[in-house]
Amino acid sequence: MKITFIFLFTLLSSVPFILSAQQRISISGTVKDGATGETLIGATVKLQSSGQNTGLATNAYGFYSITAPTGEYNLIVSYSGYQISTQKVLVNKALTINIALAPASTLQEVQISAGELKNENVKNPQMGLNKINMKDLDNVPVLLGEKDVLKAIQFLPGVKSGGEGNTGFFVRGGAADQNLILLDEATVYNSAHLLGFFSTFNADAIKDVSLYKGGMPAQYGGRLSSVLDVKMQDGNDKKFGVEGGLGLIASRIKAEGPLVQNKSSFMISARRTYIDLLLKAFGDSALKKNTLNFYDINAKVNYKFDDKNTLYLSGYFGQDNIGIKDLFANDWGNTTATMRFNHIFNNRLFSNTSLVYNRYSYAIELIDGQNNAKVKSLIRDLNFKQDFQYFSNNHMLRFGLQGTRHQISPSDITASGNSSINPLSIEKRYGLEFGLYVSDEWKLSEKFNLLMGLRLSQFSLLGPGKINTYDNTAAFVSSKTYKSGEFVKNYFNLEPRFSASYTLNDKNSIKASYNRNTQNIHILNNSGTSAPTDQYVMSSNNIKPEIGDQIALGYFKNTEDNGYEFSAEVYYKWLQNQIDYKDGADLTANAEVESLLLYGKGRAYGLELYGKKTKGRLTGWISYTLSKTERQFDGINQGSYFPARQDRTHDLSLVAMYNLSKRWSVSANYIFNTGNSVTYPAGKYDIGGLTTYYYTDRNANRMPNTSRLDIGATLKAKETRRFQSSWTFSVYNVLNTKNPYAIRFRDKENDPSRTEAVQTSLFGIIPSVTYNFKF
Amino acid sequence: MIMLNQIKYISLLLAGSFTFASCEKVIEVKLDNAESQVVIEGNITDQAGQQLVKITKSVPYTATNTYPPVSGAVVTVTDDNGHSWTFSETTAGRYTFPAMKGETGRIYTLKARINNVVYTASSVMPAPVGIDFLDVKVFNFGGDDQKQAQVHYKDPAGIANQYRFVMKVNGIQSKQVYAENDRLTDGNEVPSVLFFTGNNNDQDQLKTGDVVDIEMQSIDKNVFLYWYTLSQQSSNGPAGGATPGNPPSNIDNKALGYFSAHTVSQKQMTVK
Repeated sequence: MKITFIFLFTLLSSVPFILSAQQRISISGTVKDGATGETLIGATVKLQSSGQNTGLATNAYGFYSITAPTGEYNLIVSYSGYQISTQKVLVNKALTINIALAPASTLQEVQISAGELKNENVKNPQMGLNKINMKDLDNVPVLLGEKDVLKAIQFLPGVKSGGEGNTGFFVRGGAADQNLILLDEATVYNSAHLLGFFSTFNADAIKDVSLYKGGMPAQYGGRLSSVLDVKMQDGNDKKFGVEGGLGLIASRIKAEGPLVQNKSSFMISARRTYIDLLLKAFGDSALKKNTLNFYDINAKVNYKFDDKNTLYLSGYFGQDNIGIKDLFANDWGNTTATMRFNHIFNNRLFSNTSLVYNRYSYAIELIDGQNNAKVKSLIRDLNFKQDFQYFSNNHMLRFGLQGTRHQISPSDITASGNSSINPLSIEKRYGLEFGLYVSDEWKLSEKFNLLMGLRLSQFSLLGPGKINTYDNTAAFVSSKTYKSGEFVKNYFNLEPRFSASYTLNDKNSIKASYNRNTQNIHILNNSGTSAPTDQYVMSSNNIKPEIGDQIALGYFKNTEDNGYEFSAEVYYKWLQNQIDYKDGADLTANAEVESLLLYGKGRAYGLELYGKKTKGRLTGWISYTLSKTERQFDGINQGSYFPARQDRTHDLSLVAMYNLSKRWSVSANYIFNTGNSVTYPAGKYDIGGLTTYYYTDRNANRMPNTSRLDIGATLKAKETRRFQSSWTFSVYNVLNTKNPYAIRFRDKENDPSRTEAVQTSLFGIIPSVTYNFKF
Repeated sequence: MIMLNQIKYISLLLAGSFTFASCEKVIEVKLDNAESQVVIEGNITDQAGQQLVKITKSVPYTATNTYPPVSGAVVTVTDDNGHSWTFSETTAGRYTFPAMKGETGRIYTLKARINNVVYTASSVMPAPVGIDFLDVKVFNFGGDDQKQAQVHYKDPAGIANQYRFVMKVNGIQSKQVYAENDRLTDGNEVPSVLFFTGNNNDQDQLKTGDVVDIEMQSIDKNVFLYWYTLSQQSSNGPAGGATPGNPPSNIDNKALGYFSAHTVSQKQMTVK
């Protein structure tokens, strides 16, 4: 609480500075890709004269606003992969200058523009932030050639994969459900296709990916560990184009173009897997009756009414289908829809209003005479967000509010005829979540930058419903029925967010941050990876909001004209109100699921090293994480701290890309990590004629280490003015390393008087090829 | 529960077919060796005859699967109607009472004194639910037909029932633990498939001519929690499914094992 007041005070004390900036003049505008009209997020805009040098990055809509005293300046705009733009401007009245950057067409130009890139990573107070360059994704070799945002972020320091080939991830010791995954501001509850081997993000449709591992800005809230903010492309507003790819297991196609010249454009992208179709084509009659596929569609339209008003509509729809004819069907998917309206009040005040809908649902059906049944479950949110950005001399003030209505339908079982399964419907639950935030990015001096924020989070569990109360041993206490709209329980939390950077010289800086996050939507799953049947619960009279506090300290350095970036960060995290469940808990279609839960706390700490080479023929990065993450529950492990499942001591990734020639480029990834912590038996005994294992400490053992090398090559075919194409070849796990996926214990087959440990490995060496085209 | 078992089984088959490139190998793992623990396995059935309480000790993981019997214990069983039975050690670690029949609704309490430590457990004998008949369920998965044994029974309506099944194929006990309750099937005619899983993949289905023996037990809630927890710990999926732990025992003083008063119904079939 004390910390909060200090924050409020500091925040308020900056207001006079902001208001006193009035005698300065603002220049604002939008930075775009000159070829496609796509707005550029995070482009560096600099206003330079002999005595003045101010700069900042464009916001999520490519907008910038800089203030400066009257005078003559150079306006310099740069962005990775684009030619630098310089123009002379005479600042004597408020100006709107929109800038179009030309893509760098040859290697040389890329090098030049990259060389001019500002050392934003050094100077910006934001820490714990990693961005994925979508162009790098084309080259990074991946499983079965399907380029994937969620797999790429697993190569970053502090991010651990949920399992081999899996898109689930853990950030800085947090759980998989503690990541806020946003697609054009809509929450994506389940980011996995095909049991997690592919993510819901079709790389073709994506413009920008930012991962916040710490120091989350105040406009984000609702999850403890990270924010993965994914933004879709707007669509080319200059000319119509089609691009796509044919892969081994999936194909994709994207169309984009202007609807009204320079005013409106659209983008639509779709992909579908065809594992099942392929198997049928190869005449595998065994699989003819089965279904195994997913598809997804991303679409976006924008309309620019004038320079000050723009409307964006975007949506995602994805579905997975798994089925065996006359036996079993399972389908699941996300739907999101976002409507956003940008309004520029004046050169300094930028506003965005969003209405967002998102939904995740699954259904499992048993198609089986006497055991037929269908289980359906869904989670659905309706969001309203209003965000303002106010640009002033040395300040960027951001404030707004967010409101969300949650609905969870935990489980609906229907069965027909003489089924042995009874119909059952578990009561729906409703929640209301509000966030009110303000933050200020303040350039105190040339050397000292601050990012201060405060977020007020409110959560209410709403009726109607019969709500049970359980005591701290999870024993039933009482039950009460609430009317529709009646408040069952309210929670308020203040979340301070603070980051500061001090630039030692132009190339070196130190940064520090503290942030608190809270979380009111929880997944009941401790198996580590996301499953289509994940169960969601909200905070309630029994479940308290999860709270996470994190402090971090970092050192950032660029060398060789910003051609090398280096960072080192250390962090410590405290987690409260963590959830686990009792042994033998049966969570499915259980109205009393809250009676099966245990509450505890956690701690996580670590060191992250990151080095990146951004220039030259050889580019890539290396990341290393040394970390520990532990949990403590009264009912588990005699109440002492034990390693969380995702606790891995060492984690190393290396990504390298090399341009051989204008047409050929090659790439390689290497990963090494300590095995997950697991519980192995410490003894054995006989029960009912079966060897039964005796366990002592939870997660006190380690799976074997994992390592893997993947290689890839891209060949660009000869370009014509109209048509471009390329081939991407990749080999996953080229050394055919047998990595541990699961370990189980059993009696030896030829000597039942002994037991043995058996390791399952998933993917051996897997080559793949993808053909990409664009016209 | 039935539904869950079926879904779980099918998911496993699916996962198996999807992860076409997966492979298994035996590995050496470093394990801690725990001290030997007392293991009590006590059963009182509704079948008139000999009732058995087995007391053994656990061994380190690296030892052979021979479990030292615990001799010299004083074992008594009482019920809530003032009866008491003193069990005698017939062979090392095996304590029996020659003629006893459990009755539905009675609460049975086991007391075992081992080296001056008294271990106590109670269990209620549920109402009997019997096997109506057995048949073979054929799963048409991936082209070839998989045969599995299916138990049919009528669940009594309006009360919570829990069951455990023991299956033997050609006299050899299946290594799977089968436990289910009627949370989703109360009052219905229930067909329940007991998926047969052997040590390796070619033992995971029934063949024509196999002789299948199935014993159905009606068990109380605590005993069900014991068997159900055990059944959930078969390791599958990334990092091995649910985190394994010792199933919650109804015996106090940290003894491993269980004490179960249950009814028994048995049937046999030959797979056609």
